[in-house]
Amino acid sequence: MHHHPPEHPGRGYVGESAPRNEDRRLLTGNALFVDDVQLEGMLHVAFKRSDHAHATILGIDTSAALARPGVVAVLTAEDLGDYWQPGPLLVPPPPVQGLVFNQATQVPLAKGKVRHAGEPVVMIIAESRYIAEDALDDVWVDYEPLEPVVDLEAALAPDAPLIHEQLGTNLAAFVPQTHGDYEAAVKDAHVVVSRRFHYDRGASAAMENRCVVANWNARAEELTVWDTTQAPIPIRNGLARMLGLLESQVRVVAPFVGGGFGPKIMMFYPEEVLVPWVAMRLGRPVKWAEDRQENFYATTQERGQVHDAEMAVDADGRIIGVRDRFLHDTGAYDPYGLTVPINSQCTLLGPYDVPHYDSEFRAVFTNRTTVTPVRGAGRQHGVFVMERLLDLAARELGMDRVEIRRRNYIGAEDFPHQWRILFQDFSPLYYDSGNYLPTLEKALEMVDYAGFAEEQRRAREQGRRIGVGVVSYVEGTGIGPYEGARVTIEPSGRVRVATGLGTQGQGHYTVFAQVVAEILDVDVAQVNVVTGDTREFGWGTGTFASRGAVVAGSACHAAATAVRAKVLATAARVLGIPEDEVEIVSGRVQPRGQPERAITLAALSGMANPLRGAVVPGTEPGLEATAYFGPEKGSTASGVHAIVVEVDPETAMVKVLRYIVVHDCGRLINPVIVEGQVQGGVAHGIGNAFYEKLHFDEGGQLQNASFMDYLLPTALDVPRVEMAHRETPAPENPLGLKGVGEAGCIPTGAAFAQAIEDALPEYGLDITEIPLSPNRLFELLESARAASAPEPAPAVP
Amino acid sequence: MIVEGEHRFPAPRQTVWDLLQDPLVLEKAMPGARRLVATGDGTYEGVLRLGVGPVTAAEWKLNVELRDRVPPSSYTMLIDSKGALGFTRGSAKVELIETGPAATTMRYKADLQVGGKVAGLGQRLLDQVAKMMTKQGLDGMGKELDRRLKGLN
Repeated sequence: MHHHPPEHPGRGYVGESAPRNEDRRLLTGNALFVDDVQLEGMLHVAFKRSDHAHATILGIDTSAALARPGVVAVLTAEDLGDYWQPGPLLVPPPPVQGLVFNQATQVPLAKGKVRHAGEPVVMIIAESRYIAEDALDDVWVDYEPLEPVVDLEAALAPDAPLIHEQLGTNLAAFVPQTHGDYEAAVKDAHVVVSRRFHYDRGASAAMENRCVVANWNARAEELTVWDTTQAPIPIRNGLARMLGLLESQVRVVAPFVGGGFGPKIMMFYPEEVLVPWVAMRLGRPVKWAEDRQENFYATTQERGQVHDAEMAVDADGRIIGVRDRFLHDTGAYDPYGLTVPINSQCTLLGPYDVPHYDSEFRAVFTNRTTVTPVRGAGRQHGVFVMERLLDLAARELGMDRVEIRRRNYIGAEDFPHQWRILFQDFSPLYYDSGNYLPTLEKALEMVDYAGFAEEQRRAREQGRRIGVGVVSYVEGTGIGPYEGARVTIEPSGRVRVATGLGTQGQGHYTVFAQVVAEILDVDVAQVNVVTGDTREFGWGTGTFASRGAVVAGSACHAAATAVRAKVLATAARVLGIPEDEVEIVSGRVQPRGQPERAITLAALSGMANPLRGAVVPGTEPGLEATAYFGPEKGSTASGVHAIVVEVDPETAMVKVLRYIVVHDCGRLINPVIVEGQVQGGVAHGIGNAFYEKLHFDEGGQLQNASFMDYLLPTALDVPRVEMAHRETPAPENPLGLKGVGEAGCIPTGAAFAQAIEDALPEYGLDITEIPLSPNRLFELLESARAASAPEPAPAVP
Repeated sequence: MIVEGEHRFPAPRQTVWDLLQDPLVLEKAMPGARRLVATGDGTYEGVLRLGVGPVTAAEWKLNVELRDRVPPSSYTMLIDSKGALGFTRGSAKVELIETGPAATTMRYKADLQVGGKVAGLGQRLLDQVAKMMTKQGLDGMGKELDRRLKGLN
């Protein structure tokens, strides 16, 4: 570990585990969540959602609902007039040669047909949620069912029913990316391994569902929207455009949010387009709070992909190349463009030197809930395919699975590493920095890989089957375009930081405070951070792609640095000394070494904003600065996960005995917060690997739309992660930061698969799918048993 | 969802056939049936009130059409029901096999697509509920048959 000794030990500055500034509000129940917003005269909304995955709407009868006492309005697509518009395409396709992209974005209320179960069809606004819910049963929607499109391959068949008739195909995109010449290179291969890999859908399962409250103040001509979004500023900008308002007339507040995990960066959800419009039309505040069942159907999901992949290696186990053809399930609409499958395509390469890569994917519309990024955002699939191929190649070569990884790592001297394929930020995939081998060695030491065979033997003597899995990954983080921050020293001496990000539990109130406190030499607790309120800060993009700390943190750094310069300049004027003789010590400014002449930052703030006299020409009033950070390139985090599992071959139950993460997210701002992110990510990953799966039947009907049937891992299923940090500073930002929010869940499926196979070598398992479950693993074990059983005697007629 | 099974009626096949075509019998026998009327030759419509597990009972509109009728031995039912809680659609094949002068075995196999709230929330109970409803329905029909055989109708 390379901890930089902090310059001010004990102050909680960058690199120290400062206690979280937000915890007092959260733990005392005083944090505002959107559903806490209660306004006088507030109306409540319930949505009539489609029962069908694919159907024509023949007619809608809302008369009984309208007649119900307490119902204020009942809206269908037809009632929205010109406001009914498909949502924007959030991420246009990158400029890849040969790329095909077919756009079909979500609509506020289904018109003419429904394209997934749970799609909103009718909006009911009533005096209470109870009345609105009761009125749902009064609405009659007449559907003519259409054949649902669920299977990815069948969806592309020439005679498949069409989800978006205007496109003439269910193909959402085709993206070929290559470097090198795989076709030629594979001729020299010693071994070629290939498999079909499946990754299936899960729910993001944030603790807090989505929620939107809107209030139109007619006298102020101002719309306030509280929204659980991860992107309050783009929501404000979009609503202003849709509603014909100035951006300054719309205030979007994303207060405390109980988990984002990606689906809350999706915009614009139908509900968040409709609630503000209705509030303006009716002149009353309106609230919609998603219930858990709606969340299962209407909040975006991820991870349906099928890969046909192969890897060519030479006799020493060096990768010659990888070829991958995959199908990506984009669901009913594709508003998020190609971010998820491009992440899969790029992240597959991992920390390995892959001279020849030939990858093509087809994104496919299906009659299932729309797919947008969920923590990991496509990276899981790529890592799973790559790590599994390495395991297979090692097996074919009779080589240790760790050794094959060691032999293929990009060397520490080979950074920055430039690939030729395009990443999700449209720049060629680029690894800014990294040092993979020591990360692996550390993980091996922690899990005692060298001694594991002996441990496994001893366990086996006790009738226990244990296995170890060791996998690597690389994660592009901290991408642009930009974030900003404003830092102000208030007349009280407290420091205010405002940034445009939304926050969903990442500890932003603390890490940004740490960055600013260090520069201004004040207590972390004296720094008040505001996030997610467009009135406080109006420029920015949002919280996604493990970029908050990197991009907004760097903006905070820049703004604090500019304020520090103002402090020094103002103090120099006031004290009548040159700037370079001024020092800042614990919230005071003074001539170097003369504490008796110190002026508090509070007093200095007043002097910088005088009521009389003149502000010095060329200066600005106050101790305040706004700055932006736009990284030209992202920063590349990486890590190694090692897992030890115990598998019961009779029940197919898997218990995670140990989980080790050695992670390199550059310089750590707050180690405990980083560890929290990793621990939470691993829990998410374990759920994804062994518990959580959205089961859709062949009709596109979700079979487990509640926590009765959809299993989340509990605290008993997730061990305390053993962690070590490596800090290879990112060269592209001033603090050397890399993102960490998604890392914990990215390689977990690959680790699980390898460890289960290792625990049961006699079965010769070949795990090519995630999520697993005890049931599914039981089936795999049964077929392995059947395959290894002696040929049955010919049946006697 | 597949619902299949066999049921033995202690009656001649023609009697069982007639029983199964009579909406009044079906209305009495079918669990939750509020109303069931013939709207044509082999077409019926009705209203049921049913819930599944955590899903509160609500009304369902039911349309049934009998197809491929081969009296008195087999027919296919096309089932289309929808309500506030979702829908159930599909077909059921019914066969009557004469196993004695006063013994008929009914074989049935339904392939149903269930959608909406009932599918998402009631899945783990659906099979049980389908079995229970089938049993209640068959028991109800058995009673009606009994009344008929005793000449009570």
